Amino acid sequence: MSAPPLLDESTCAFVLGAVSISAASRGAGGLPVLARASGCRVAADRGRIALYLARSKSGVLIDAVRATRAVAAVFSLPSSHRTVQLKGADASVGAPAAGDFEAVGRYVEAFAAELEPLGYHGALARALLWLDESDLAVVSFTPSSAFSQTPGPGAGAPLRPAP
Amino acid sequence: MTLSIDSIRDCLEGAIPAVVATLAADGTPNVSYVSQVYYIDGGHVALSFQFFNKTRENVLANPRATVAVIDPRTAAQYRLALEYLRTETEGPLFERMKAKLAGIASHTGMSGVFRLRGSDVYRVCGIERVAGRETPAPPRRNLLAALRSCSERLTRCADLGGLLDELLACLDEVFGIGHAMVLVPDGAGARLYTVASRGYPASGVGSEIPLGCGVIGVAARERTPIRISHMTSDYTYGQAIRERAAAEGMGDMLETMIPLPGLADSRSQLAVPVTAGERLLGVLYVESADDMRFGYDDEDALVALATQTGMVARLLQEAAESQDEVPAAARATPPGGTPVPIRHYAADGSVFIGDDYLIKGVAGAIFCKLLRDYGREQRSEFTNRELRLDASIRLPDVSDNLEARLILLSRRLAERCEFLRIEKTGRGRFRLVVARPFKLVELPA
Repeated sequence: MSAPPLLDESTCAFVLGAVSISAASRGAGGLPVLARASGCRVAADRGRIALYLARSKSGVLIDAVRATRAVAAVFSLPSSHRTVQLKGADASVGAPAAGDFEAVGRYVEAFAAELEPLGYHGALARALLWLDESDLAVVSFTPSSAFSQTPGPGAGAPLRPAP
Repeated sequence: MTLSIDSIRDCLEGAIPAVVATLAADGTPNVSYVSQVYYIDGGHVALSFQFFNKTRENVLANPRATVAVIDPRTAAQYRLALEYLRTETEGPLFERMKAKLAGIASHTGMSGVFRLRGSDVYRVCGIERVAGRETPAPPRRNLLAALRSCSERLTRCADLGGLLDELLACLDEVFGIGHAMVLVPDGAGARLYTVASRGYPASGVGSEIPLGCGVIGVAARERTPIRISHMTSDYTYGQAIRERAAAEGMGDMLETMIPLPGLADSRSQLAVPVTAGERLLGVLYVESADDMRFGYDDEDALVALATQTGMVARLLQEAAESQDEVPAAARATPPGGTPVPIRHYAADGSVFIGDDYLIKGVAGAIFCKLLRDYGREQRSEFTNRELRLDASIRLPDVSDNLEARLILLSRRLAERCEFLRIEKTGRGRFRLVVARPFKLVELPA
């Protein structure tokens, strides 16, 4: 029997919300590589998470994930600073599934709406995160560790899933 | 054109948090947010170190980091390849970042959570522009053209008072910075006093702040520009000044008798030291009720302007002190009427005209010498040189900016006294004009 998923319902809802998402991996020559994601999808059993990336902006990261399978992803809600980092060691790069491109569109609009009250024009989020359907790549992994990174004394503490 | 860090400084204002990726010793990636990526020079940036976290642990083990930054005006995205060099926990860079972080923390509701432990200095190994759509950048003021115009105006100034007023006029008329002041250090260097201001209901000339207090005091202490882009209570003056005055006893309550001018709703602040070589001549302070009014480019422009002001001030001072003219022997005709009592307390040099506080310290001592000479010999013509040689004034040292003290005295008189004024009569020379009789009462220490 496999271990229960690390993502509890609350964390799952959080990462699917209007959060800023960035992913990192280990690139060639032992250098860290980094790209911004345009939303994500979580499997029904919450065992695996898939990040939406623009190939045109994430080539080095995608290559690194293919080579090392190591990934770290950070999710942060600008209005509350609540931040979570997930790490995985079995990442793979795949093609989008049905509905993924539409999910990117919904995510970009939700994130733009999150930023507007903070004084950032929606055009900023759209320019930053919008991608063409043909440009969409999906990096998925099983979270093997999760950490709270909300600024403050508890930053860096491992997240334990609620029962 | 190769990308340089100078050309993407808008990304380093902290408007949009940056993201940093690092690798643990075993190669496991880590990704987190960083509040501040601070521009140092064309080859270096500093990251704010606020918490002992995985990023910190990783860069100590493996110094390579990748940081993603975003231009808040255009959404242009860049990735910086960095190499960790060292951490600074005090000094100019640390103080610049500490002030800036206080503004960011206040603006994002993180006051009390964000605290700068250190400035992690990184070498910039490469910059990559990430492909993507961008929004058009709004046009902005051409600061180089503004700087040129102001430079030309400053070099035409003939005395220090005129130079400082012209500097403030330039900032207002050419840079669109309507609230500004210049403060100079007193001889001992523990305080700064205001000698010129523009854009406030009361000039505040003569008001003082302790060294190290607010952005002005920190800029003076560290000899470095301090800039805040959002309102923060960490760098306000009122309370700190009152606390300092109270701690030093009643005598120093005089410090608070002239309120410091300043915007109540100041959101952006920039203090730039004005230096001549190693010596601090003063601090230029500008502020705005708008968030993020002053960026890196504004800071550069004002540093250049302050540098030029310092050079012109030094030339004017040297010229003034080289004058060796004997004051005209003509005696002034004393006016008639009831004498007004003027009290001078030797203990702190404070001077009261009637019951109204005028000035203290060295400027007070200068004022009394003038009144004494006038009373004794009806002398009204004076030179800077004789003041410097006068033992009763006790100028702190030969390099003391006597001219700044005379500006302070003449401006306080203009604001507070209807019958006494100081008029410049030439380089290093001035006249005391007396329109009513006075009686100088000297109270020994």
